[in-house]
Amino acid sequence: MDSQLREARRNVVMVEVTSQTWDYRLPWNPGTVSSARGAGFVIEGKRILTNAHVISGARNITVQREADPRKYAGKVLHVAHDCDLALVEIEDPEFFKGTTLLPIGTIPELESVVSVYGFPIGGDRLSVTRGVVSRIDYNSYTHSGRESHLAIQIDAAINPGNSGGPVMQDDKVVGVAFQGFRGDVAQNVGYMIPTPVIRRFLKDVEDGHYDHYVDIAIRWMALENRAMRKYLKRPNDGLGVVVTDIFSEGSSDGVLEKGDVLLSIDGHPIESDGSVRLEGQPVQMEEIVERKFAGDTVTLEVWRKGKLESLKLTLRPAEMFSMYENIYEEAPRYVVYGGLVFQPLTANLMAVLMGSADLRLRQTYSMFGQDQLYRETPEPVVLTSILPDPLNVYLRGLAGQVVREINGRKIRTLADVLPALEAGKERTVILFLGDQRPAVLKNREVDQATPRLMAQYGIAEVSRTELGNRRLAKGSFQKVDSK
Amino acid sequence: MKSLIRFGMLSLWMGSCLWAASADESRGSLVRVRASIQPYDQFRPWQKKAPYGLNGTGIVLPGGKVLVTAALVANRTEVGLEKPASAEKCAAEVEAIDYEANLALLRPIDVKFLQNFAGVSMGPSLRAGDTAQVWQLDKNGEMLRNQAEVLSAGVGRYPSDEAGFLLYGVRVSLSKRDDSYTLPMMRDGMLVGMMMGYDRDSQEGTAIPVPMIEHFLKDAADGKYEGFPTLGVSWTSLRDPNLREEVKAPKTGGILLTRVNERGTAGRAGLQEGDVLLSVDGFKLDEDGNYQDALYGPTSVGNLIRTRPVVGSPARFHLSRGGKEMDLAGLYDRRARDEVSIPSLQFDIAPNYLVIGGLVFQELTGAYLQEWGDKWSERAPQRLVQLFSFQQELKRDPKKKVVFLSQVLPSEITMGYNQLSGLVLEKLNGQEIDNLKSLSEMVDGIQDGDLVFQFMDDPERIIVDSGEIKAKGDKVGKDYGLPTLRRL
Repeated sequence: MDSQLREARRNVVMVEVTSQTWDYRLPWNPGTVSSARGAGFVIEGKRILTNAHVISGARNITVQREADPRKYAGKVLHVAHDCDLALVEIEDPEFFKGTTLLPIGTIPELESVVSVYGFPIGGDRLSVTRGVVSRIDYNSYTHSGRESHLAIQIDAAINPGNSGGPVMQDDKVVGVAFQGFRGDVAQNVGYMIPTPVIRRFLKDVEDGHYDHYVDIAIRWMALENRAMRKYLKRPNDGLGVVVTDIFSEGSSDGVLEKGDVLLSIDGHPIESDGSVRLEGQPVQMEEIVERKFAGDTVTLEVWRKGKLESLKLTLRPAEMFSMYENIYEEAPRYVVYGGLVFQPLTANLMAVLMGSADLRLRQTYSMFGQDQLYRETPEPVVLTSILPDPLNVYLRGLAGQVVREINGRKIRTLADVLPALEAGKERTVILFLGDQRPAVLKNREVDQATPRLMAQYGIAEVSRTELGNRRLAKGSFQKVDSK
Repeated sequence: MKSLIRFGMLSLWMGSCLWAASADESRGSLVRVRASIQPYDQFRPWQKKAPYGLNGTGIVLPGGKVLVTAALVANRTEVGLEKPASAEKCAAEVEAIDYEANLALLRPIDVKFLQNFAGVSMGPSLRAGDTAQVWQLDKNGEMLRNQAEVLSAGVGRYPSDEAGFLLYGVRVSLSKRDDSYTLPMMRDGMLVGMMMGYDRDSQEGTAIPVPMIEHFLKDAADGKYEGFPTLGVSWTSLRDPNLREEVKAPKTGGILLTRVNERGTAGRAGLQEGDVLLSVDGFKLDEDGNYQDALYGPTSVGNLIRTRPVVGSPARFHLSRGGKEMDLAGLYDRRARDEVSIPSLQFDIAPNYLVIGGLVFQELTGAYLQEWGDKWSERAPQRLVQLFSFQQELKRDPKKKVVFLSQVLPSEITMGYNQLSGLVLEKLNGQEIDNLKSLSEMVDGIQDGDLVFQFMDDPERIIVDSGEIKAKGDKVGKDYGLPTLRRL
């Protein structure tokens, strides 16, 4: 125990971050500035491992060790928002004097004791709490808002400021503390990111950049019903799940079919509840996919129409669902035209619209994946607000509507908006989903009003449309859009 | 108010005597109405919820029938009338009821029960600024008269209606009574409105105006109640000059039709989406959809087409289509409201259901969705919300009902399906399902082999063995104590 504490004191660091959060209501603004504190620790290669949520939106990062009162400037080397991990580098070699590194261990046993190191609220020095491993299971990673990965529940106290700190057993790191519940919801429930997820992240960034997690992009149902098994001509052997949906553009698109029975994945038999045995532990079969990378393959034994087939999937990220992921680095995108603010539908936008969004907008969001709306509209565009001006005085009731067409051109992503607006001759006609009235603007009036609007509302740029490194669905519509 | 306890005691033995002695205008016009209410449980369609009582005031009409709000007697198991002074009681039947207009007409079982009541006649329509009295009965049958002022008279929302009807906004100070449903608004001894909503904090409420009541009574008089007509359109204001130009509207007036239900009054007359409706039955519409009412001044078109005409009366439309003006004619009806795939108004009607080996199928209604609470549109299964809320634009065939798997009562047969709910059924063994009855007949007709249920959403299909249903289906019903496995 002494050696663990000694190593922790050398290598656990305090990460202080000043970050900026975009305001999706005013997407042209640089956002609000706030400061927070988290933890991190030195791993091999003189890198500091922490949570993505500790450094997301960071404008300034300083890192401090227990033994050294100086604050060192840090820089984000890699960030993986989908699994809430990040690597920070420090240029000043002075910082690493006296540090060693914390080695990454394996999945700890249930009920075994672990120690959590970090800088939680209640003081400024290094804190240690202890607990046992309570549960090893899939759980949602709230930072991304969409992803679920393996997570380990521990009963040691995890509080704000623990984030990014190591959870240790003997001399090894067995997890990174990352999330918990508010005290009024549950007590003694904290979660850490387990080592398979950490290792995957570190391996992914070896080539210099982080790719997204891959996804098998199907829905399946447990095959527990006898009549169902008989119908599918499967013996009552407790094996197999049935594919109920396949997402277009996903890894399984064109390979799997609805009604296929998946019997094994990479040689691991799939139980009828969808679990496989991995290192003796039952885990959801997706865990096999979770540990792989974009471009890797997975082999499935499939029972299709009474025949056994062996199929190979090439794995890729489920980019078509990126709408449901919280966006951190990418600046909010928008187009302002005559005071009408157009924004793509994103998780961030829905978070600020919640409560005021009408049924159609909510349904466009919630059915986007399920109904594969992305095939037609990879990125629905919303008329989010109308900046009042004499020009648009009759249009104010249209805020919150989903844009269908502008000047006869279908709007499938935000990138379609500017060209469609430019295609208008004297008038711009905007149509919306449902039975809303169209919005009609005179282009000459808009051109005259634009400088006035921008000055009045403090908008430096009328649009920001570049997507950054996020990718949208390709869609399966006719690419030629005629008018 | 005053202590009049003795009245109640006296009435035990000299009720009718007492009544005759005090037959002033007020006593002759009101009765207490006690309704016992028991709504169906939409989530457990084989049972009803716990019963409760509602007490209200009924307005006695000449001829001995009683007018109340429909809300008072919705989902009733029994309705009773009680004379305020004598506490004499008599059961009553609902003769006509309109949930949209929130009106109901009751008839005492004993036709002579109210024969000594003079009844009230209909007074004039009121305008904003007019005054009236709102009458309340206190515990002992004494009348409280509260001064009321009409704040507004125009088209507004009724509790169980989607479009809007003529409505009074009223300011009145009412004391808390247990008979506060349906309070009459009176002037000079005549009925001028019926209170249907009241907010104690702001001391403001809403009242159903006399033209609505008269329309309802006239319709009910022939014994065949038809209801208020609808146009079957969605429309938007044409104030925006740019929009006027775009749709080639004439210089002034008119509204833009953004959707036209082909089954509705307007659709049958030939109106189309994109038409600019300029006048109805000779009443010119302004850019906000108001016509000039002789009494109320500018009033929403809703009053013009719903309260004024009756079902079956002729309708005339003047419109502009693509810049050309034209006239169309038709008949007022309400098929746009009644002929729908998913009905929204569903009081008194037992929800139908079919249990197949623990799989519970129901036909979708607005009442089912509302069972999810105030935030039903967020909480209910989103596919069901979508089909219901957007059924007009989805142009669902009214004959094709939405049959859905609402829940699973876990049994041996349903193993592996127990978590399923809110799934819209499309086909059984490859055949399309139009309603619960046809599903039931099909299931009964299949003697052995698989039942393959195909759903609109994931999971695409589930299978149960019809032999097993025949053998064990009844047992599931018994295990869960269901009175029957179906109500069709």
